[in-house]
Amino acid sequence: MKTKKLTAKDFITIGIFTAIWFVVEFAVGMLGYIHPYIVASYVVILPIAAAIPMMLFYTKTEKFGMITIMSVLIAIIMFVTGMGYLGAPLVIISGLVADLIAKAGGYKNFKNIMFSYAIFGLWVCANFFPILITAKQYKKDLVDSGFSAEYCNSLFKAINTKTIAILVVICFVFGIIGAFIGKATVKKHFEKAGIV
Amino acid sequence: MKAGLDPRTKLYMILIVSAIVMMSATTPLLWTVRIIMTMIPLILLVIEKRYSSAACFTILYALALVLTFRFMSEQNSGILQSLLTGYSGIVVQFLPALITAWYVVRTTKIGEFMSAMQKMYMPDGIAISLAVVMRFFPTIKEEYSSINDAMRMRGISFGGGKVSKMVEYRMIPLLFSCVNIGDELSAAAITRGLGGENKRSSVVRLKLGICDWLLITIFTGALAIFISFKYIL
Repeated sequence: MKTKKLTAKDFITIGIFTAIWFVVEFAVGMLGYIHPYIVASYVVILPIAAAIPMMLFYTKTEKFGMITIMSVLIAIIMFVTGMGYLGAPLVIISGLVADLIAKAGGYKNFKNIMFSYAIFGLWVCANFFPILITAKQYKKDLVDSGFSAEYCNSLFKAINTKTIAILVVICFVFGIIGAFIGKATVKKHFEKAGIV
Repeated sequence: MKAGLDPRTKLYMILIVSAIVMMSATTPLLWTVRIIMTMIPLILLVIEKRYSSAACFTILYALALVLTFRFMSEQNSGILQSLLTGYSGIVVQFLPALITAWYVVRTTKIGEFMSAMQKMYMPDGIAISLAVVMRFFPTIKEEYSSINDAMRMRGISFGGGKVSKMVEYRMIPLLFSCVNIGDELSAAAITRGLGGENKRSSVVRLKLGICDWLLITIFTGALAIFISFKYIL
């Protein structure tokens, strides 16, 4: 019995995986306070760390809208935890595009899933948005709120309008690598156990 | 309503606090507003008899405030000092949002939350998923600590020093239990009629009381002060 419409079960799945996603993100985010270069390397760490839960999530998605709703939730959570509202529309757009790509492959074709995940992962870059657009204000805010000037300088050396293009590309590439790792892990553990 | 506030007021509080958290306080007046805004959820926590978490948050916030004001300067050098001020700065900056979110998550019943969402014409998809996210963080924490216990019992502490193994040993069992819990949760929810065709009715009747309006006014005022001092003056 399969319907096109999303059911309560789907919503619960979305909620659970968003929570896991966010825990992973939070754990990685905490590392960023050690050194600003780690903030820039989120684009490497996050797509890989989050790949396993996300690949499992993709095996559970069969209907259009699940990834989009997830991106809306992420945008809401990002706002609530004070990570900025500038990136929110970007997150939702990347979710929508990812959803469309995965839909084109019927949510089963691995190539589509791979690209879909890589695009969805780009929302990590949305976190950098306040640094780019409101650079001056943001820097002032950081210094005012107790970060050392040294931290700020390295942060802005690592992330600025020139490096963002490279960061986006790296993020995409590692999203694809992450998709492979995630798929292998899902196959190794979950398919054997019959959960998928 | 007995002691509790309307969930809509709570959501409004989260919204305002998150907005204010993103603007840094520079003048003494703004600092005062900020500290008052942090006190309100703390007092609310005490009213709801969450003494231990209220005490923890108060101590943490006070400590971070003292550290920040004592050492805050742009020229601090030395790794330890800059780490310390960095961390306490972050705590001062983001703890208000965390306290408010904690208060809301801990004191809102799912039924209330859903009925508030329905009153705000939020689509079901977002309402249900958000409710699950809210409930799920404590579950993840619980599951994680039992996985850790189980590993320690078998003498696996760090996964043989390899990072990939460390992640794998923790994440895979966690995902397993989360997926299972999700299945149980949806079975439970469906038997209670979630996702049915009809519009759901709710036992909880929501009404904005005097306290709600008072808090809404205070928080709106705080936001207005922040915006006018940061961007207009």
